[in-house]
Amino acid sequence: MATSQSSGSSPVTPTTSAVQIQNLHYSFGSGDLTKQVLFDINLTLPRGQIVIMTGPSGSGKTTLLTLIGALRTVHAGSLQVLGQEVVGLSRRKLVSVRRNIGFIFQAHNLFESLTAAQNVEMAVELKGQFGTKRSQAVEILDKLGLSDRVDYKPGSLSGGQKQRVAIARALVNHPLLILADEPTAALDKKSGRDVVTLMQKLAKEENHTILMVTHDNRILDVADRIINLVDGRLESDENLDTFVSTHDPKSLDRRMFIM
Amino acid sequence: MLSWWKRTPLAWLNLTHDRRKFATSMAGVGFAVLLMFLFTGFQNALYDSQVQLINRLNADIIIINRLKNNMFVPAAFARRRLYQAQALAGVQAAYPLYMSDVRWRNPVTRKTRPVRVLAFNLADPVLPLPGVTAHLEALKFPNTALIDTRARAEVGPREAGIQSELADRAIEIVGTFRLGTDFAAGNGNLIMSDQNFLRYFANRGPEEDERSFSTVDIGLVQVQPGVDVDEMVQALSAFLPNDVKVMRRLGPGNSFEAQERDYWRESTNIAFVFSLLTVMSFFVGIILVYQILYTDVADHWKEYATLKAMGYSNRFLLTVVMQEALILSVVGFIPGILVSRLLYTAASNAIGLVFLMTPARITHMYLAAFAMCLISGAIAVRKVQSTDPAEVFS
Repeated sequence: MATSQSSGSSPVTPTTSAVQIQNLHYSFGSGDLTKQVLFDINLTLPRGQIVIMTGPSGSGKTTLLTLIGALRTVHAGSLQVLGQEVVGLSRRKLVSVRRNIGFIFQAHNLFESLTAAQNVEMAVELKGQFGTKRSQAVEILDKLGLSDRVDYKPGSLSGGQKQRVAIARALVNHPLLILADEPTAALDKKSGRDVVTLMQKLAKEENHTILMVTHDNRILDVADRIINLVDGRLESDENLDTFVSTHDPKSLDRRMFIM
Repeated sequence: MLSWWKRTPLAWLNLTHDRRKFATSMAGVGFAVLLMFLFTGFQNALYDSQVQLINRLNADIIIINRLKNNMFVPAAFARRRLYQAQALAGVQAAYPLYMSDVRWRNPVTRKTRPVRVLAFNLADPVLPLPGVTAHLEALKFPNTALIDTRARAEVGPREAGIQSELADRAIEIVGTFRLGTDFAAGNGNLIMSDQNFLRYFANRGPEEDERSFSTVDIGLVQVQPGVDVDEMVQALSAFLPNDVKVMRRLGPGNSFEAQERDYWRESTNIAFVFSLLTVMSFFVGIILVYQILYTDVADHWKEYATLKAMGYSNRFLLTVVMQEALILSVVGFIPGILVSRLLYTAASNAIGLVFLMTPARITHMYLAAFAMCLISGAIAVRKVQSTDPAEVFS
């Protein structure tokens, strides 16, 4: 039974799952204008799993992603990210939770004024590793097949290359959890495929957990598990591979209750 | 937030990435700096020009009529006060300077313009300007004078050999000197010998001031080497009757120069008008810099929001914006001061006022530019603060 090996600079965490959600409710607005978007979500993402989240637009996928990403304050239920309870955390503490998460967006969101390496180095600087930032950036860009584009600015990179730089930026600090929102939406079929395969490869090498929101059916095969969100409720949770079946999430849940 | 020098210089790179935009920003800040330099320049020029003559007088101590609280006041004092002063131990010499405003006819247009005549005994080193010392012999002839090359163009050609009329009497210009105009000088200064001064001003007829050697406009006192000027001022004040005022020529506090500056600063609207214009330019600068910074943040809000999602704090982003403000204040100041220098020279040549750019004034102006950029930065950062990283996912 291969439980999670913490890779690189990860904090020591007591749980074996990257994300653990219990009875999570979330609503926008307040008073009469309150609109609930998530209803009683229960979800556990074990270490090393690649999970794809699908669902119609407006179903709350992105909201759930931003909640897991500690980008919003949550008040109801329980949401543990990398062993840290996020519910009730102040904005300031949320910032430090985010530092252990890699974010990949639909748009690459790279600074046009910075080279590929500098964009990646901005992430390394968060860890205060100024001495090795260049070598770390070059190493991860090399892994993503961009060794000859290290000192190019985004303006002279193709869409797929830019997205790979964005992925390099998300991965350079070896985050245990990677959250991706339509990472292939802006790419053609081939680059989209390449990008996802790279993510999969790196995730497997370093035992990352990936939660990816996508409508792109061409990349569903990289998933260990596919969850479907409809109208703010988890509708289905299928295609579990052997990895998850050996780590029965239900038993984990029960243990959590006892603790 | 230590170790900024090790970090990627995001502020600098963001500002300079688009060269054309950077040049525009630089020009914008530079323009605001230029406006401030121009308005304070004019203000200072008006003050500085008032004391040009005082700065050139060859004296340690000045004696004037107690009523003469600025150069406009024509009150003179009895020349015997100078002889009394000379009697005091420690006084090296005391010279009279006579001044009078009078009509000068422009030899080309034949129009009359008021000018100021400065006169003194040619044997006294009252105004040791190069042009004056060179023409002392020529000034000994009757009906001769020197003209200031920096007099206003209204007086006509400012060169030797001009023949014209002064107080309805013929006069010949035998040379030139360089001084500059001020409010009290009318359109410019002429210099002549005290003998010629009598020729023009002693018998001017009814209803006009008649001048003689018995009254002096400004008394110049030189102290002996090693004598303390302030003590000498005290001694002279105590010694001379109360109808005259004794003060140092230059310096802060009780000096002729300070009295003149204070008069123009406190009794006129110059300071108010030009301060208002300077403050206006300051606000124009704030708006310009704010526009630049706001556009940067607005254009890059997704990137900044991504930085926030990655775990950068608000404070980091605030620092980036403030760095941009600081960089703008420096790179905008440099073209601003260079162009201001050119305009100062041009303006000084055109109107004869002195435009000085002293280190203190440059420092003050930079501090103003810095404050300008800081305020704009402080307004623009609110945009960064309000950036919600969750919005990048959508």
